[in-house]
Amino acid sequence: MIKKRDQYLKIINALPNPGLGLGLRSKHFNYILEHNPAVDWFEVISENFMDSGGRPRHILRQIAEKYPVVMHGVSLSIGSTDPLNMEYLGKLKTLAAEVKPLWISDHLCWTGVNNLNTHDLLPVLLNEESLKHICSRIRMAQDFMDRPLVFENPSTYLTFKQSTIPEWEFLKYMAEETGCGLLLDVNNVYVSAFNNDFDPVHYINHLPHNRIVQMHIAGHQHCGDYIIDTHDRNVVQDVWKLFTQAWQLTGGVATLLEWDSNIPDFDEYHTELLKAKQYMSVMTGYNMDTEKLEYSSDAVSNPVDFLVNDFKW
Amino acid sequence: METKNITLHQLQNWMQGMLIKGSPSTDDRKVIEAVVNHSQRLSAMRHLNIYRSSYIARLRACLQNQFIALAYALGNDLFESFADQYLDSCPSESYTLNTLGEKLPAFLEQTRPDADLEQKESWPDFIIELAGFEYALSEIFDEQAAGDFTILTPDTPDNLLKVTPVLHLFSHHFPICQYYLDFLQHKEPELPFPEESYCAVSRRDYKLGLFVIRRAQYYFLKSMQEGRSVKKSMKYLAKNFEFKIEDLEKIWPEWKRNFITSGFLCV
Repeated sequence: MIKKRDQYLKIINALPNPGLGLGLRSKHFNYILEHNPAVDWFEVISENFMDSGGRPRHILRQIAEKYPVVMHGVSLSIGSTDPLNMEYLGKLKTLAAEVKPLWISDHLCWTGVNNLNTHDLLPVLLNEESLKHICSRIRMAQDFMDRPLVFENPSTYLTFKQSTIPEWEFLKYMAEETGCGLLLDVNNVYVSAFNNDFDPVHYINHLPHNRIVQMHIAGHQHCGDYIIDTHDRNVVQDVWKLFTQAWQLTGGVATLLEWDSNIPDFDEYHTELLKAKQYMSVMTGYNMDTEKLEYSSDAVSNPVDFLVNDFKW
Repeated sequence: METKNITLHQLQNWMQGMLIKGSPSTDDRKVIEAVVNHSQRLSAMRHLNIYRSSYIARLRACLQNQFIALAYALGNDLFESFADQYLDSCPSESYTLNTLGEKLPAFLEQTRPDADLEQKESWPDFIIELAGFEYALSEIFDEQAAGDFTILTPDTPDNLLKVTPVLHLFSHHFPICQYYLDFLQHKEPELPFPEESYCAVSRRDYKLGLFVIRRAQYYFLKSMQEGRSVKKSMKYLAKNFEFKIEDLEKIWPEWKRNFITSGFLCV
C-alpha cells in the first residue's frame, strides 16, 4: 500500500505545468477546430464524452490531437457510502486510454447514496471515519485506473456539527495517505469561506502546496448573505487576490477558468483567463481596479445543464 | 433520528432524503438543527435549503434542455409541474444526465390526466409521442457508429445499396417530426390534430438530419433495414401493402436520389 502511494506521489510530483487552460464547451467546438486558438490546454468534463459515440467524442479526438487535455469528472462520488461505480470507472479508464489526459480529477464530495444520484457535489462529513472511508476508496479508484487521481475542494453551503477536521487538513491527510494530487479551486475556497465563516487566506496557507497540481478560478453569484458558485461570469477581485496568494505558495501550477452557464464567445472567455497573468505576482495583482458587486437570490449551485447533449443540426 | 453518534451512511441517507423529498416537517427541523451548523448569517435550515432548492432547479433545467419542444408544447408552468413530479417519482439513478429523461415518456403515459376516463383526450397522446421522439433524438445523437461512409451517386448499382447504420424510422399518430421541425424554425406551431405520420432520422458527419417521409417510403426503408435488397423490398411492399410494383419502380429513381442526398443509404 505504501509502495503504491509513493509511486503515485512520484507521478504527481512529476506532472507538468501546461499553463493557462480553458474548459472545453460544446458552444466553442467549431471555433476551436477552425481557429486553433492559442490556449495552452483544455479541461474536458469526462461525463460529456465517456458515453458518446457521436459528435462530442469525435470532436474531443480532434482536440486531443492538437492540445494537452485534462479530464475532470463530476460523478466519481468518492465520498459516498455506496460501492464505487465500477461501470463508471471502466468508462473513465477507456476514455483516458483514448484521450491520454495529463491527469484525471474529480471532487471531494458525494453525489448520492442508495443508487440515486442528485447530480450535486454534496459536502462530505469531515471526521476520521469519513477520512478513512474516502482514503480507502481513493486507493481503490487509483489502483483500478492505474494512476493517481486529483481531487478538488468543492464549494460548500453547509458544514456538519459532527465534523471534527478542517477541510484543509482533511485534504492534506487525504493526499498524504493516498498519494493523490489536489486541485485547488480558489473560487470554491472563497465561496465556502463566506458561507461557512472561515478565513480563506488561512485555508490556502495551510494546504499541502506541493500536492497541488492545478487551480480553478471562476465567477460566482453573491446573494447577499450567502454566495452561490455559478460559474457564469467574470472572476471577482477577491478571488484574484486569493489566486495570487495560491500562485505564490504553489510556485505556479496549471490554472483553468471555469465557465459553465451564460457561456460567452470564445474570445471573451479566453481574455478573462489571460487576466491570470496579471495576478501571478503580488506587485501587479493587488493594484487592479475595484469592482461593483451585483446581488441576486435566484442562483443555482453547480449548474449542470451544460452536461446534457447540445445537438447541432 | 439519533444524531449524536450518527454514522456516515445515516448522515448521507438523511441529507439525500432532505434534498429529494418535499418540505421538512417539524421533526425534520429539529434534526437539521442537530446535524447542520448555523453560521453568522444563516440558520441551519437556510444552509440546507441552498442545496434543496438547487437540486430541483438544476435537474429541471436539464430536462428542459433535453425536451425543448415538449417544454414549448406544454408551456413553461405545466412543463415544470410535470418535471417536478417526474423527478419526485423517478429520481436519477445514473451518473450521466443524458439519461435523466429516459423514463419521462412512460411517466407521462402513467400519469396522463384522463387515465381513468373511458373517453380519452388526444393531447396527452401527442405529448407522450413528442417526449418519446425527443428522447430518441438524444440517443441517436450519441449512438455508437462509424462516421464515414462511401459517398454514393444515383449511378451506384441498386444491388449494393444498404441503409446506413444510423438511420432511425418512426411512425406516429401525430405529425411529430413536422411539429419538431417547425418548433426549431421558430414557427411557433400549435398543438396538432391526430394524423398518421412517418419520419426518418439520419446522422451524417455526427449531425442529425430529420426528414418527414411518406408511408410507402417508411415501409420500404423498414424492409431494407430488415435486410432485404431494393428489389425484394419493392416486392415486399407490393405483397404486403396496397402498393403496385410498377408504381414503385417508376418512383424509385426519385426516391433513390433523395435517399442518397439525405444520407439514408450506403454500400
